Amino acid sequence: MAAIRIYHLYPAHLNLYGDRGNMLALCRRAEWHGIGVEIIPVEPGGRIDFARCDLLFMGGGQDSDQKLVAEDLKSRKSEMRQAVEGGMTVFAVCGSYQLLGQYYITGSGEKIEGLEIAGLYTEAGPKRLIGNAVINCPLWKPPRTLVGFENHAGRTYLEPGLEPLGKVIIGAGNNGTDKTEGAVYKNVIGTYLHGSLLPKNPWLTDYLLEKALSFRNQEFKPAELDDSMEHQAHDAAIRLAGSRRHRRLSTRA
Amino acid sequence: MRSAKRQHSKQGGINNRLFKLKLLAATWTGKMLISLTRVLGRGGTTLPGRTALKIAPHLSSSLTNMLPEGSLIVSGTNGKTTTSALITGILKEAGFKCVHNQSGSNMSWGVASSLVAAATWTGRLPGDWAVMEVDEGAFPGVARDIRPRGVVITNVFRDQLDRYGEVDHVLEAIRRGLDIQPEDGFEVINADDPSLVSIAAKSGKKRWSYGLEIDLPEDTFENTGRDIKSCPVCKEKLSYEKIYFAHLGHYRCPSCGYSRQEPDVKLTGMEKTSDGKTLLQISLPGENIEITFPLLGTYNLYNLLAAVTCARALNIETGSIAGALEKSAPSFGRMELFELEGKTVVMALIKNPVGANEVLRTILSQPDQISLLVAINDKIADGTDVSWLWDVDFEQLASIKNRLSGLTVSGLRAHDMAVRFKYAGLEPAQVEIRDNMAEAIGQAVEKAVPGGKIFILPTYTAMLEMRRILNRMGLGKPYWEE
Repeated sequence: MAAIRIYHLYPAHLNLYGDRGNMLALCRRAEWHGIGVEIIPVEPGGRIDFARCDLLFMGGGQDSDQKLVAEDLKSRKSEMRQAVEGGMTVFAVCGSYQLLGQYYITGSGEKIEGLEIAGLYTEAGPKRLIGNAVINCPLWKPPRTLVGFENHAGRTYLEPGLEPLGKVIIGAGNNGTDKTEGAVYKNVIGTYLHGSLLPKNPWLTDYLLEKALSFRNQEFKPAELDDSMEHQAHDAAIRLAGSRRHRRLSTRA
Repeated sequence: MRSAKRQHSKQGGINNRLFKLKLLAATWTGKMLISLTRVLGRGGTTLPGRTALKIAPHLSSSLTNMLPEGSLIVSGTNGKTTTSALITGILKEAGFKCVHNQSGSNMSWGVASSLVAAATWTGRLPGDWAVMEVDEGAFPGVARDIRPRGVVITNVFRDQLDRYGEVDHVLEAIRRGLDIQPEDGFEVINADDPSLVSIAAKSGKKRWSYGLEIDLPEDTFENTGRDIKSCPVCKEKLSYEKIYFAHLGHYRCPSCGYSRQEPDVKLTGMEKTSDGKTLLQISLPGENIEITFPLLGTYNLYNLLAAVTCARALNIETGSIAGALEKSAPSFGRMELFELEGKTVVMALIKNPVGANEVLRTILSQPDQISLLVAINDKIADGTDVSWLWDVDFEQLASIKNRLSGLTVSGLRAHDMAVRFKYAGLEPAQVEIRDNMAEAIGQAVEKAVPGGKIFILPTYTAMLEMRRILNRMGLGKPYWEE
């Protein structure tokens, strides 16, 4: 049986916005596709065995927790970088996404060094960008939509050559100005979207599972799943995000 | 003692008259808007208060100044509505007249709305006490306005992150509110909540505390990211001798020694009576009392202790305390009971993971067949971010699968909830999606088996809508008639 090993970084600290839903989606869909999953929770101070990790999941956290991760991973920067270059899959949401870049300058002006995995940097803005968001994601041909909820003070900018996860249709995205959302570098996906993101966007869940499998030369043989409930939730969320009520809410927040 | 009164005497003359005139205009406008919304069957608590406060920003302060006894504020993440209802019940039993925002509308305008509703057309506020539940974020502002004699803080959990961001901000708001409270007042806090206790008491102010000292089955729910089990002083992981739920319990920091202090009021014993109620032994300074209490759930034990402690701080005699609590009924949407077509309907508000987990735990403890209806809205009062649904341990429902006769979802986020059930391990084919709430109630009733129960779990605005529908069906009364 095909199997993957998921390292879950700091489940007790990085879990601000329903990140449990993302882990749940990965586990359930892996189970439904007949893929064995081993989850290895990593607590602060614990070590990620990059030689064994197929998929690294990093959730969102408060500023203080984010600093903790940065401190912990600083010494392993080159190892992690090597694993990423080799094709390890990483899924990072919100605070962890910011951490993938060069640096993050917080609201109080403090500069947190990033992991330098991807060419991006983040600076805190004057007000939080909060609301429902929809993006068009070119990981598939034709592109598919991803729908989620964003809540971040940081403005993230991608350096030339780094691909965004998608183009903003509704919402603020990386920085509220250039219409990009998230970033994709090799098999690393970073995004501001939670909601939780994966349950309502099952094709992204499957994409991550496929990448994690192919990294170990295993084939992804998707089962025929009835995803109508997920599709309906996806479509309903897009309708809500586009409704006048929601647009008013997100501009007010 | 009261700032507005001082202002009156200093200014006098035209300013004073203008001040009173504004108050009168605000009261009238507010009262007219309240009548209008009630005719429409809505019992508005936002618009009347907001409008009245625009006309007279000093409204809440001026009206509560007229009360001979003063005001009490109940704040904290969970348990505000029930605790303030229990306190109001005790005060009434002791012979006082109270103004109370029983609908749970707890922002500054909600407080203003309920004051205006109770005020006379001549701009007077009759009664002895105002008992107000107040949102944590609105607490400093309302405390500045109504200068409470007593403040009760129930607990602090992560809640509605779209509004408050991080839990540190909530603690900061509570700290500021307690600071604003007059020094001759008192505060009542939960001794079992490590982060709440870490807020230093202002010197000179009397602090009362309460806590559980009984044995309960362990909390096996996953309160992912919602409990704060690290030491508020040194951030080390706390060790617990007892955990009642989430991070409430008997804690101690192995690193810096920060630990739970013995509370003034303790629950020391508990046994079930033959009629399904609970007989509680409570230890107060200098005396022990027994109370028969009809409400279910561990969280209601905390609510009860908070109310008893507040009553004790006010020197209310134990006869009135026990008498009132024996009669207590569930408050607005908190395990409220209705009878529909010979079936029992229980409505329990859910708004954050810790509270929702406690409701689920109570459902799990029922022996009956259950038709479950969950209605999720994402308006501002509900929280616009529904990701919290993924932090509720709905997985626990899978263990009572064979007792779930129906699973219905409704509300603006019905589809999110349907997916949540699917990933919780429940049968997708069993989940019925009804966008229309009246239809959803119909569906839930249909799926209930004879002798079984219907549990309705709505978010705040969904609960208001559910209640209106039930009222129209002749069940229960609009809250303003209670």
